[in-house]
Amino acid sequence: MLNTRILRRSFFSSALKLQVKRTDVLIVGGGPAGLTLAAAIKQSPHLSNLSTVLVDAGDLKEKIAGFYHDPPENFTNRVISLTPQSRHFLEDTVGVSLMEERIQPFDGLYVTDGCSDGTLDMERDSMGSMIEILNIQSSLLAKLQATNPAKLDILDKTKVQSIEYEDPEDNKSWPVVTLDNGDQYKTRLLIGADGFNSPVRKFSGIESRGWFYNRFGVVATLKLEYPPFKIRGWQRFLPTGPVAHLPLPNTNSTLVWSTTEPLSRLLLSLDDDVFVALVNASFVLEDVDLEYYYKSLQDGTITGEEVIQDVDYRINEKFNSFKDDSMIDEKYPPRVIDILDKSRARFPLKLSHADTYVAERIALVGDAAHTTHPLAGQGLNMGQGDVESLVKTLEKATQRGLDIGSLLSLEPYWADRYPTNNMLLGVVDKLHKLYSTDFGPLVSLRTFGLNLVNNLQPLKDLMIGKVSGPNK
Amino acid sequence: MSSRTRLFAPLKRCYSEIPKYNTEFIKSSSSTSLPSAEHATTSNTGKASGTSASEDEIFHFQQLAPTWWDTWGSQRILHKMNLVRMDFFQRTIRNEMKIRNDDVYIPGFNHRDHLPSYVTKAIDQDIFKEVQKELAKNKFDVLDIGCGGGILSESLGRLPFIQSVTAIDLAPECIEVAKAHAAKDPSIKDKIFYKYLPLEKVHGQYDIVTMFEMLEHVDEPSEILRQAWSKLQPNGIVFLSTINRDPVSWFTTIFMAEQVLKVVPKGTHHVDKYINSSEIKQWFEENLSGRYEILDTKGTMYLPLTGWVEHDCASVGNYSMAIKKLK
Repeated sequence: MLNTRILRRSFFSSALKLQVKRTDVLIVGGGPAGLTLAAAIKQSPHLSNLSTVLVDAGDLKEKIAGFYHDPPENFTNRVISLTPQSRHFLEDTVGVSLMEERIQPFDGLYVTDGCSDGTLDMERDSMGSMIEILNIQSSLLAKLQATNPAKLDILDKTKVQSIEYEDPEDNKSWPVVTLDNGDQYKTRLLIGADGFNSPVRKFSGIESRGWFYNRFGVVATLKLEYPPFKIRGWQRFLPTGPVAHLPLPNTNSTLVWSTTEPLSRLLLSLDDDVFVALVNASFVLEDVDLEYYYKSLQDGTITGEEVIQDVDYRINEKFNSFKDDSMIDEKYPPRVIDILDKSRARFPLKLSHADTYVAERIALVGDAAHTTHPLAGQGLNMGQGDVESLVKTLEKATQRGLDIGSLLSLEPYWADRYPTNNMLLGVVDKLHKLYSTDFGPLVSLRTFGLNLVNNLQPLKDLMIGKVSGPNK
Repeated sequence: MSSRTRLFAPLKRCYSEIPKYNTEFIKSSSSTSLPSAEHATTSNTGKASGTSASEDEIFHFQQLAPTWWDTWGSQRILHKMNLVRMDFFQRTIRNEMKIRNDDVYIPGFNHRDHLPSYVTKAIDQDIFKEVQKELAKNKFDVLDIGCGGGILSESLGRLPFIQSVTAIDLAPECIEVAKAHAAKDPSIKDKIFYKYLPLEKVHGQYDIVTMFEMLEHVDEPSEILRQAWSKLQPNGIVFLSTINRDPVSWFTTIFMAEQVLKVVPKGTHHVDKYINSSEIKQWFEENLSGRYEILDTKGTMYLPLTGWVEHDCASVGNYSMAIKKLK
């Protein structure tokens, strides 16, 4: 192992040394965090002079940028909730014009307990905005293409092959990044915006800790029967995990259903109409009913047609029990009538948090530093918060004439973000654990707690403030 | 004075060695009238040069040279201090820039207290941009006296409006460390010139002269001041920082920093060499009356967990000063 490393080093340092290019910042990863950072650096009066390179394996310039100029009619399935702070940062500080017609601001969240009548009804105007990740990425690319800032290179369809320190003995020397197109870059500051399996983090030797939740998130783009009466997000905590139904423009909506691994496979294998029936059932029927459907479908003792009929019957039964029809719209999301073809996908849910986000000449942002359960919709927003804080830190360091790659310059970024992120990760993790049981006493306790919060407006405001920023 | 003595009575035993006046400083400042290079050499017959630091001071800093750039090492607190003195430097220089563009609104009152935040933000941004433009027209040459391992010299060298930094020190090891460190950064290696040289051997005049955390390590600070002033262009600015000679300084910089918390290497400070900010002002008034303007004086203090912060009480503890040479 050691020998091959030495061999590799000597190979790179002798054969290719002449071609090494120099840059101030090299960002690995063109996801929302990486692209936002590149655009924010070029927008900042203090930092725009820094030569910046962004490397991504995907097709950013044509495929992703093309989304902005020629958007598809239907909504894509990777949709997230953007908090007002993140949106303010993107639009006002970075100066991005998002594709407004594809964004749906929502005015509240209606959270219910799948095992009891526990309810939390949070209301606030523009509490968040549902937006496709492609909308964020392509808007950033469009902004960069339109302004065409000097000293910025976006290298897409390019992979990082290896990273080494210029002087292997000195971790304060500049990292040399070798790309698969043969180019080598020597960089003052290396940014890991390269996701959960971050190669930059591995190179830095920063430890990341956490666990898999043994749950998968199933996503899909839904078609509703009619536009929602109240534009808000709906979330129901089932013992297998929360299911959330979040609004998109008109009769579109997006689904994130966290559930166990076998059930996620089942949900992906069902016919569209059976899946739709289960989504409708998941917000209205009892957990035992759902358990029954899962089991019978897995065992093959019930046909899809029978499930659809049974769900319809039971939902109507439930709705008929209300004296006042308006209560239905108040308590349940609009009925789903269809899902977009091939919009179903699943991904594993996990918690991870890096011990630190900075090392000499290295900073981590976004998923490279932390990943979280999607139940509070904070993942991408935490990444935006990282970028905002890192940019401020770099601006300060530049004004003070520091080497922006030095640990001394980068430390304030970590000190600023770690506690915030750690708090969010912790709260989300505890919520997941609290709601992944149907143990009676615990259910009563959490129901009491949820209803209590629901009736204490100041506490509710505080919670809304934590996830979507202070009240205006 | 008496009330202060009473206040610090319990400390008196440890503090008794602190002289009431920095005799060396007062003596040399009152005995001379005009700064001139000729005078400087003749008045110091006892020593090889008038601007030298004592042997053991030089020896002390040579010992520290190898760990100078370890930001988590012996000089961490100095690295942190550099942040607040760069803020002081930037603010002073920016305040000196005159905005010539009539379209920029400059409020004649403290707008931050009276206008909504988005308005003040826009005003500040406008002013910042204009100042940035004015600043970009300048190409300053800087003389950094007592550069040590080059912490300040490098920070100055990275600023776009600074053309060159000439940095001198009397500890050759520190100069070597500084040279080696700057050579690693392509953006500054051609801008900074480190020299193992006493101040009086420096030729020419500079736009900015800096003497941060230096006067308290030399035997004859007034001589250094005189020499530094002679290296300054008309309209140039001299920046200096040192420590007031008072019980608070002894408590913070020696007792706490060196002995209890051990964040500063032992033997770095000697309380009898500290100089009060009032003494600096007195020296300027007596020697250069009418030819100088004190642009700003700020106290600085170290808060554990926060780092260095500025305050307005410049007669206690550490302080920084910016003095402009009038034409």
